[in-house]
Amino acid sequence: MADQPYWNPVLETLEPERIRQLQLKKFKRIFNWAFEKSKFHRSLYDKAGIKPEDIRSFDDIRRVPKVEKSMMRDIQRKAPFPYGDALCVPLEEVTEFRQTSGTTGQPVYQPDTWQDWEWWAECWAYILWAQGYRPRDRVFIPFGYNIFVAFWAGHYAAEKIGCEVIPGGVLDTKARILKIQELEATAMMATPTYVLGMAETARKMDLNPAKMTIAKITCAGECGACIPSTKQRIETSWGARVYDHAGATEIGAWSYECTAQPGGLHVNEALFLVEIEDIQTGEIITEPGRRGKMIITAFDRQAQPCIRFDSKDVIEWAEDPCPCGRSFRIIKGGVVGRADDITKVKGVLLAPSAIEEVVRGMDGLSDEYEVIVDKVGDVDQIKLRVEVMPGAQDQCQLIEGELNNQLRLKTNLRYDIEICGCDTLPRYEVKAKRFKDLRKGKKQN
Amino acid sequence: MSFQFDLDHIYAQIRTMKAAAENLARKGESFPALDKNTRRIMASIKMLEINICDLIELDD
Repeated sequence: MADQPYWNPVLETLEPERIRQLQLKKFKRIFNWAFEKSKFHRSLYDKAGIKPEDIRSFDDIRRVPKVEKSMMRDIQRKAPFPYGDALCVPLEEVTEFRQTSGTTGQPVYQPDTWQDWEWWAECWAYILWAQGYRPRDRVFIPFGYNIFVAFWAGHYAAEKIGCEVIPGGVLDTKARILKIQELEATAMMATPTYVLGMAETARKMDLNPAKMTIAKITCAGECGACIPSTKQRIETSWGARVYDHAGATEIGAWSYECTAQPGGLHVNEALFLVEIEDIQTGEIITEPGRRGKMIITAFDRQAQPCIRFDSKDVIEWAEDPCPCGRSFRIIKGGVVGRADDITKVKGVLLAPSAIEEVVRGMDGLSDEYEVIVDKVGDVDQIKLRVEVMPGAQDQCQLIEGELNNQLRLKTNLRYDIEICGCDTLPRYEVKAKRFKDLRKGKKQN
Repeated sequence: MSFQFDLDHIYAQIRTMKAAAENLARKGESFPALDKNTRRIMASIKMLEINICDLIELDD
């Protein structure tokens, strides 16, 4: 069984036309469920004049109103406490509470039934099996098991697969590194920021993470593991293969990179419907190569359904199929940013991930950086702060020139670069906040 | 891609398991250990339905 490359050899290799048929049928089922069980959804659909029998095609699906995160925040003020009227099951069937991190505002509460929780682990089982996790693996999870969903379902999926799981919960970073070394863990899951931070800490402990036993790392929570230069830094630091995955509290674990590392993520199209919407026009993009924001439906989530959720993740379809043989489509480069984060600077659209790709691709710089966008008078200015590594301090001028050139090519913008000493920029444990737009709240052009 | 799985037979076995679990659940009203363990089994059966039965029933 360990040689079987697919968690589900039937669904993951299904012909695209059959996948579309399955998706349409499953969309109708979850729409009907929400229509019947959720006051919030019923009211939304009644206002739009859409009933379950109206959904006969993908064009009909596009008429179904989208759900925004702000709408989910608003319903939490209604009964039943604390979730509000999108709840589709009696409160006594809710077995799990999680909440969003609140990065973009007040956190959203997420109820799940035990079946939903099984489903979460099932989504993650697709991910981990595709990334080569097998029963012989000893998986270390350096995550502070808490109210955020993060790697909880990764833990249960690893157990489901048959791996041995080491919960690295309340240990600090040094203790986690020592535990990995002591137990010879073969795999781990964490955010790219934390994985890079762990490697830095290990080196300060006179340990070489690349010589440790970790052979694969699953990243989530940030874009990094699909940014080639960041992926390479992590892989070199740890001497391990690094795989990305994207998911969200309100959605589920909807995509994964496979061992072929095709430069993007497979969408789990048996469990989710991903639509890409043009940010300006609202048109649904079906062809490869055009970026838009993701509208997503989870077909099998019961307690608080996720139907046409406007995730604001910026993605695009890839042109080529994956050599791994999966027929699930790929989003090129993973989640490349968030519609909220892509901002206009001097009239040019700027995605923070483009800056990361350049900084992390430069020799002589540490993993940390900080971008501050501000307005001086009427003019936008971008300050980029980077850290020079101890052995490269005599090359600051060269590095600055090269950074300027590459950033200009990549983003078409000019930067005020400040080269700082090592260990001077903030370090982050989980999700990093390296991009700061100080213009917010000031008058915009 | 073709596989050696007898999906129709697997489908029938899942349906049999589900019927048995539903029967047990009905008998668990005042028997928490029976009720709660059966409901966990039913959640796992649902994962089998998602993985296999939904596809088999596509043409129904």
